Amino acid sequence: MKLPWFKRNGLFFMPISIIGWLILIVGIGYSVYTFIEINNQGHSVSDILINFVFSLIIIGAIYSSIAYFTSRPWPQKK
Amino acid sequence: MEAEKFENILMQMSKPKVAHLKHQDMLANAITNAKDKSVLSLWWLSVPLYIIAALLMKTCFMPNTTLASNIHELANKGKYSALFIFIVIPILFIVINAATIRKIYFLSGSPKSASFLKEIWVNVFIILASILILIIYLL
Repeated sequence: MKLPWFKRNGLFFMPISIIGWLILIVGIGYSVYTFIEINNQGHSVSDILINFVFSLIIIGAIYSSIAYFTSRPWPQKK
Repeated sequence: MEAEKFENILMQMSKPKVAHLKHQDMLANAITNAKDKSVLSLWWLSVPLYIIAALLMKTCFMPNTTLASNIHELANKGKYSALFIFIVIPILFIVINAATIRKIYFLSGSPKSASFLKEIWVNVFIILASILILIIYLL
């Protein structure tokens, strides 16, 4: 489990290792699951989109937090 | 004679050259860290900003409601989540970004130039956005 797992590219952290790609795939998978759940409960297109974008922002924030803390190598012991 | 010899030795001596300064590395790391932190801050601040934008739309479309009343209604539904989103997140990112700006300011030798502002404008923007969120929630 060698760090770094991610590298920042503009506003996004891009995965550069297998674990990084796994985290991204889990994030995308969870976003799709959330969309299906909201779609089943939503009453209108705007209702679905407003709730889905909110979930997407929260998933993006959590993904960025994980990526930020794993985007640099472990500090070397002196 | 001795003085002349010593003068010649001095002439031959060259100044020590340091090709790579550690201070430069520290400043480069601080700027990279600041950019990484600003991306993280933008993602987290987009949560309260999105809620405020949604409530603003609700205020426009529903008569007899104000932004403040809609925010208080939301805060009553989830007291702790509202406190986290509208108070904890902005204060946390104000502190983090202010500390980052301070670090870059001291590492770059307390500059008073536009190039310094160019490096930290995102952090300043995040601090201003956080203050705006706090004001909107607390009013």
